[in-house]
Amino acid sequence: MNVDCHHCGARIAHPALSARLDGHRVPVCSSACQDTVHWIDKQGLGDFYRLRQAPSRRPEPEDGHNAEVWTDPRLSRHVLRRRSAKSSEVALLVDGIRCGGCVWLIERTLSALPGVESVNVNAMTRRVRVMFQPARTTLSDLLGALSSAGYQPRPLDSGSLDDARRDESRQLLKRLMVAGFCMMQAMMFALVLYLGPDNEIQGPTLDLFRWLGFLVASPVVLYSARPFFQGAWRAWRGRHLNMDVPIALAVSIIYSASFVQCLTRAGEVYFDSVTMLVFFLLTGRYLEMRARHRALDHTDALARLTPSWAERLDDENRTHRVPLSELRAGDRLRVRDGGSIPADGLLLDAHARVDESLLSGESSPVDKVAGDPVIAGSVVQGQPMTFRVTHCGEETFLANLANLATRAQTSRPRLARAGEKTTSRFVLRVLALTSVTALVWSVLDPSRLLDACLAVLVVSCPCAFALAVPAAITRGLSVLARRGVLVLRPDALEALTDIDHAVFDKTGTLTEPTLSIVEHDLSLDRDTVFLWAASLSAITQHPLASAFAAACGQHALPVEHARNLPGLGVTGQVDGRRLSLGRADFATGGKEGDDDLVLAEAGRVLGRFRIRERLRQGAADTVRSLAAKGVTSEIVSGDSRDRVRIVANRLGISEWRSRCLPDEKLERISELRQAGHSVLAVGDGSNDAPVLAGADVSIALASGSDLAQAQADIVLCSGHLGGINETRNLAFATSRVLAQNQRWALAYNLCAMPMAAMGWVPPWLAAIGMSASSLVVVLNALRIDHDKMETGHIEHVADGAHP
Amino acid sequence: MNIILIMIPLSLLILIGAVTAFFWAVNHDQFEDLNSPGLLPIADATDEEKRREGETHPPVR
Repeated sequence: MNVDCHHCGARIAHPALSARLDGHRVPVCSSACQDTVHWIDKQGLGDFYRLRQAPSRRPEPEDGHNAEVWTDPRLSRHVLRRRSAKSSEVALLVDGIRCGGCVWLIERTLSALPGVESVNVNAMTRRVRVMFQPARTTLSDLLGALSSAGYQPRPLDSGSLDDARRDESRQLLKRLMVAGFCMMQAMMFALVLYLGPDNEIQGPTLDLFRWLGFLVASPVVLYSARPFFQGAWRAWRGRHLNMDVPIALAVSIIYSASFVQCLTRAGEVYFDSVTMLVFFLLTGRYLEMRARHRALDHTDALARLTPSWAERLDDENRTHRVPLSELRAGDRLRVRDGGSIPADGLLLDAHARVDESLLSGESSPVDKVAGDPVIAGSVVQGQPMTFRVTHCGEETFLANLANLATRAQTSRPRLARAGEKTTSRFVLRVLALTSVTALVWSVLDPSRLLDACLAVLVVSCPCAFALAVPAAITRGLSVLARRGVLVLRPDALEALTDIDHAVFDKTGTLTEPTLSIVEHDLSLDRDTVFLWAASLSAITQHPLASAFAAACGQHALPVEHARNLPGLGVTGQVDGRRLSLGRADFATGGKEGDDDLVLAEAGRVLGRFRIRERLRQGAADTVRSLAAKGVTSEIVSGDSRDRVRIVANRLGISEWRSRCLPDEKLERISELRQAGHSVLAVGDGSNDAPVLAGADVSIALASGSDLAQAQADIVLCSGHLGGINETRNLAFATSRVLAQNQRWALAYNLCAMPMAAMGWVPPWLAAIGMSASSLVVVLNALRIDHDKMETGHIEHVADGAHP
Repeated sequence: MNIILIMIPLSLLILIGAVTAFFWAVNHDQFEDLNSPGLLPIADATDEEKRREGETHPPVR
C-alpha cells in the first residue's frame, strides 16, 4: 500500500510511523516529519495543512543544530539591528517557504513568542523580517521555533535590513505616483486651455489655468523627473549618450518654454505633455527595476549568507562548533560538502573542489591542491574539506560581500542592455533631427520653431523603445513565477528559445527512485543495515539519499570522516564502523557487480539494496513534445547501462550514455556545444551542479539541493517536468511580443517623426501619440499568457498529486 | 464660473491628500508583499468554521 507523508508529501512504501493531528492520526515518512506535525498540532496551528497549497519541505534533523550559537552576543550583533531601547530587528532567509500557507504558519509561530513585535514574511524572496525584544526572546528562540515548524532559518547580516533595493523601489514608486496624480490634474487644467478660445473662456481665466498647470507640473519636473536629470548629468560628465539625455532635454525645454509663455501670456503651454512624458517614462523604469530586482533577490541572498559558525578541529581531530568571531589565524577548520568557507586560508587536504562563482564570477568549480589559498564565501563541492585559517573576520573577502551584493544589483539582463544600445543610437538620431528641424524652421518661419522642435522631441520620445523590453520580460517572469517556475537569470528566457538539444540526468530527474533491501548480513538486524546506509547517504544531496531516508524512516546517525565521491559512492564511519556505500565494484573494492547498491565494511557485503524506478510525472510528455518542436533529447547518466537503456526505451530517446562521471557529463555538453548545438541541461542534486553550469541554459527541479539551484538558470518549484515545455512556450511568447513591441516602436517613430518635423503635429497630439504608443507596448506585453497556452497550468496537476 | 474658485483648491487639496496617503503607505511596507497578507485573514475564517463544524460533528478521538 502506498500513502503520502502528510507533511512533506513523499511516497511511503511501508507506512510505519504516524502523527497525531487534530485528534486524527496521519501517516508520516520519518521521525523528523513526525516531530514537526506534533509540534504544529501542539501550537494549535493544524489549520496549516488545510491552508497550504503545496506539500512542505522535509525537515532536516540538523535544522536547529546551530540555533544556540546565536545566543553569543559577539555573533548576534552582526545580524541584529537595534531599532529602539528595547527592540531589535533581524532578517532571516527561510528555506521551505512554498506558499501562502507557509506565510501563515511562520507568522503565527513567531507572533506567539513573547516579545515579538512584528513579523513580515515575503514568500517571493523567502525573507522574514522580525522585530522583537531580545530581553524577552532570544534570536535562538526565534530560530528554534522556525526549525520546529519544519523550516530552515538562516540569519542574514544586518546590512540586508537597509536593503538598497527596497529603498530604490520605494523612491521610484513615490516618484511614479506623484507624477501620476499630478498628470491627471495637469490634463484637466490643460483641457480648459484647449477648449478655451472656442468656448468664451479668455483673458485672466486662461492665465489662471496656465499657472495652475505650472503648479502641478512643478513637482513632477523637480521631484519625479530627478532620476533623468541625474542620469543625463552622469552621462554628460562621462562623455557618452544615454536615454536620459533627450528626456532631460525635452523635459527641461518643454517646462521652461511653457514657463516663459506663462509669463508672456502668449502661445501654448505644454505642462500636460511634460507630466505625461515623465509618468510614462517612470512607468518603464519601474517595470524594468522590478524585473531586475526579482532576478537579483536570489543571488543576493547567497551573498548575504555568511556562515554563522565554523567547525574547528582540535589536536585529536574532533570537530567543535565555534562562532566565527572566535576564529583565529592558524585554526584548522572543516567545511562540509556544499557548505561555504568561513575564512580565508590554505588548503590542507590533498585536493578539493571549490565553487568561487560568488566571488570571481567564474561559474565552473575550481580544483585546488594542498597549499592553495581558499577564499571565504566560496562553496565546497564534492567532499568535505580541511584548511588552515590565514585571515578571518573583517580581513577576509567576506567583509567585502556587501560591496559584491551592490555590484550584482547594477548588472542588468542582456536583453535590456541590447535595448539600451538601440535606444542610444536612436537618441542620437532624434537629437540630430531636432537640430535639423530647428535650423530649417529658423529660416522658414521662426515663430513655429519651438512648436516643431518640441513636437519632434515629444513624439519621438523613446518611451516605447524603453518600455518594449522590460514590459515583455517582466510580464514573462511574473507569469512563470506564479506557476512555480523561478527564472534566476533573465537572459535564460531568450536562450531557451534557441535550444535544439536537451540533456537530461536520469535519476531524480526523469525518474524517481525507490529502494528495497534484497539481502543483508544475517548477523545484523535488517533495520540497522538500513539505518547505516541511510545515515551514510545523508551526507550527499543525491536523489537516492532521499529515497534511503524515506525508506528508513529514522533519524540519521552522525557520520565521521565522511567522503563523497560523486558518481561513485560515499564512505564514512558510522557507529564506529568504517563503511562504504555505492555500486558493488566501488563498495567492495574492485569486484564488478550488478546494479544493486551495496553497503560494505572492509570489502564484506553488509547489505544489498535494489533500486526501482518509476518515471517522473510528465517525463514522457515532455520528451515527446520537445521532439515535436525539433529538440533532440539525450540522457547522460551516471547509472548503469541496462537501467539507462530501459528508461531511454520507455521515453523513446535514442541517444543515451551511461556510467558517466560528472566530468564526462560536462565534456559531453561542451562537445555538443562545439558541434554548434545550443544545449539545455536538466538535472537535480549536487552531482549535477557543474554540468548544469556548463550548458547554455540549465533547469533544476526544486527537490535538488540548494547548490544545484544556485547554479541553475531556471528552477521548477513544482517538481513537474511539464514545466520545461511550458517555460519554453512562454519564452517563445515573450520573445515574440518583444519583437512585435520593438517593430511597433520603430514603425510608429518612422511615421510620426517626419510629420512632427514638418510642423504638422501640434504638441498636444504628439503627447497623445507618444502615450498611445507606450500604452500599446504595455498592453501587448500583458497579452503574454492571456492567449491560450498550449499546456494547462502545471500547478493544478502538481496539487492534484498531493491532496 | 465662480464655482471653480472652490473646486480648484479642493482638487488641489485632494491631490495633496492622495500623495500624502500614498507616501504613508509606501513608508509603512504596504507595497512590499502584495500576495501573502491576503491569506492571513483566511485562517480566522477557517477557525470559525472549524468551531461551527465541531458543534455539529464532535471530532472522533
